[in-house]
Amino acid sequence: MGNEAAEHSGEIIHYLAQEVAPGFVVHMQTMYMTWITMAVVFVLFFMASRNPKLVPSGIQNVMEFFIDFLNGLMEGTLGIKGRKYMAPFIITLFMFIFISNEIGMLPQVGVHWTSPTNDVNTCFALSLTVALGAHIVGMCQKGISHYKHYISPSPAFLPLHLLDEVVKPLTMSLRLFGNILAGEILLIVLYQLAPWIMPEFWVMFSLFIGFLQAFIFTMLALTSFALAFAHH
Amino acid sequence: MVNINATLIAQILNFLFLVFVLAKFAYKPLLNIMEERKNKIASDLEAADAAKAEAEAVKAEYAAKLADARQEAQAIIENARKTAQAAHDKIMAETKAEQDQVVAAAKESIALEKQKALADVRAQVINLSMVAASKIVEQKLGSEEDKKMAGEIVDSILNK
Repeated sequence: MGNEAAEHSGEIIHYLAQEVAPGFVVHMQTMYMTWITMAVVFVLFFMASRNPKLVPSGIQNVMEFFIDFLNGLMEGTLGIKGRKYMAPFIITLFMFIFISNEIGMLPQVGVHWTSPTNDVNTCFALSLTVALGAHIVGMCQKGISHYKHYISPSPAFLPLHLLDEVVKPLTMSLRLFGNILAGEILLIVLYQLAPWIMPEFWVMFSLFIGFLQAFIFTMLALTSFALAFAHH
Repeated sequence: MVNINATLIAQILNFLFLVFVLAKFAYKPLLNIMEERKNKIASDLEAADAAKAEAEAVKAEYAAKLADARQEAQAIIENARKTAQAAHDKIMAETKAEQDQVVAAAKESIALEKQKALADVRAQVINLSMVAASKIVEQKLGSEEDKKMAGEIVDSILNK
């Protein structure tokens, strides 16, 4: 396969591209890691939500910390009504990106751990879901009047708003993709340059970057959705 | 490395599937319990506030009652003092009246005795003076007219 040849020709990140059906090429490494990430997120929330207690402890406490953190962000941007509406989407979005970013930092023992978010497809998938989701939620919440913001404060701003529609998903996905991919590449490079001690500092920093990027992506998604719940 | 392909669509489906599954199986109980806890804390705080207000009201009521009781006690003491004073005054007045009465009776009786003694003395003096006068004039003076005259003389002497 041509892709296979490209992968062995000096690239240090391998996506295991495979043609699953004629014309449909899928990065299997990304898919495997996505499924693992999904399983981790699901198990975390599933365990936390079994027999939830009024006085939380253990895993419930941890997950409630994340939910509470995100609830605060959502109430600030979407309001109470918007929070109730968007909570499942936003919490999943944050936790999926967060776990995705961190999973690539696991020690490469036996399994080749990579972040699903080191694939530009994942990042675009997420930012497109957010962009399309914002349109759908806006239409559901406000009908056609949701699109009034395209011509505010004056119709002359329409080109800018249209540009924003394209640029926002693009920047969101490329920021996430760039940060995570760069982190992994640098980690591989560091392992080759200075195999002891040094990479660990980078892992620590990358873990922090992983949280930060998940937070930034979620925040930007929230600003997209905020228009759907804004009062005029 | 930047190679957009069907993975994009697969990832959208993966993510939406995860959202759906989590929303269906995991979030509801967690969000509900968090909401419930929030409400419980709010209602508990409210109840605590209510209890505090009630306690304040009871405290104020007790303070008012205490003040009332103190005032009442003061009134009772004042009343008792007045009653005692009145009794004291009455007893004093009665005693004085009695005393006055006794003194008056004594004075009256003294005056009576004095009068009686004076009358006795007068009679004695009359008799003595009669005897003396009869001796002096060696004449029997026994008529009523003599006695009257002697009496006038005695009176004029006694009243001098």
